[in-house]
Amino acid sequence: MQAEERAVTGVPGFDAMLRGGFLPRSANLLEGAPGCGKTTLGMQFIHYGATHGEPGLILTFEQFPEQYYRDAAGFGWDFRELERRRLLQVIMSSPEVTKADLERFNGRIAGLVSNMGVKRILVDSISQFERMTDDPVELRNLLHGFLNALRREGLTALFTREAYVLLGDEQREEDETESSMSFLVDSYVMLRYVEIESAIHRAIIVLKMRGSAHDTHIRQFEIGPHGLVVQEPFRGREGILSGTPQYMAESFIKAFVRR
Amino acid sequence: MERENLANRAYTGDIDPELLDFLNQYVDSFIKWDLMRFFFNNPHTIDTVDNIARYAGRNPETVEQELAELAMRGLLEETHMGTLVVYALAADPEIRDQLARFIQASEDRQFRIRAIYHVIKGGY
Ligand SMILES: Nc1ncnc2c1ncn2[C@@H]1O[C@H](COP(=O)(O)OP(=O)(O)O)[C@@H](O)[C@H]1O
Ligand SMILES: [Mg+2]
Repeated sequence: MQAEERAVTGVPGFDAMLRGGFLPRSANLLEGAPGCGKTTLGMQFIHYGATHGEPGLILTFEQFPEQYYRDAAGFGWDFRELERRRLLQVIMSSPEVTKADLERFNGRIAGLVSNMGVKRILVDSISQFERMTDDPVELRNLLHGFLNALRREGLTALFTREAYVLLGDEQREEDETESSMSFLVDSYVMLRYVEIESAIHRAIIVLKMRGSAHDTHIRQFEIGPHGLVVQEPFRGREGILSGTPQYMAESFIKAFVRR
Repeated sequence: MERENLANRAYTGDIDPELLDFLNQYVDSFIKWDLMRFFFNNPHTIDTVDNIARYAGRNPETVEQELAELAMRGLLEETHMGTLVVYALAADPEIRDQLARFIQASEDRQFRIRAIYHVIKGGY
């Protein structure tokens, strides 16, 4: 597959991990602990699209749109201006309403897709769907229906999901949504905090990417003045507290292979 | 009565007539004012009474009536989606523009005092 056919994220270093970007019209899951950079990566993906011919929507279930405008401005991204130019829209809603909207003929989202030519959507965060039901089968069906509706609209979708594991080497609990989601999505990316020599670093790994090769390294990333920048893989033992990265890699793999 | 009217005029006399119209038409309670500010700051919100009440930090019983009234007056759009009733800011650019002018004007303390006085008096 050629790079031009990909939905380029615009996150330096991350596109290379994905061999060019997300697959068009795919559903992509971005999981990580609070504060580790999910929303920032998502906004970066939407901003890149909006400024490169792929208008986008941000569907927020928890954070006020005004906060996105503010946070984006901190990275030099003028979301209000992009909204005025109809290249972006930050929609606040709830999972119930979104579901009902997508089930309607000519719903709001469908309308924006045809009027604005929307190609990308950030759903921040999918965790809110868990409020809708306690039944894992029903939840899975809900998520499945939601993902399919977005695929039907031809959108490349990025879903964030809160993981309450702070460091990569902590024991993970069985988690229904996570196993449903990882099965339903086309790619699965994790952000983690990693402790090395008692300093906290941020790490990113692509755990799965359907229909594409991808980088299997755990890489370090930073959040700089223009958003995320993915760097070198954690490598070797020099300067790294013994065992920690290996340990982390094992738990990543364990978590992944278990499904 | 006459004294009251005079007092009213002293406060509202300086309000730009268009803004005064807007006040009279839409803003007859502080909850409506809060809701308008909320929709102005988050213009692409589309949600149920319960959720909007939560965002606005009010109880749903209070907010329900106010949202319905704002929808009736054309500032909001009410949509029925299956069993859900949802509200969003009206798409009409003219109404959005009036709202923007009102919210911007209310950044000014003098205007706010006059407008608040007007709301308390119940308009006229
Ligand atoms: N303008 C900025 N420059 C650098 N870092 C920032 C900036 N704005 C926010 N951050 C950092 O980004 C992180 C927040 O990331 P966010 O994407 O909101 O996390 P999540 O969505 O995973 O909870 C915070 O740790 C904050 O320090
Ligand atoms: Mg977030």
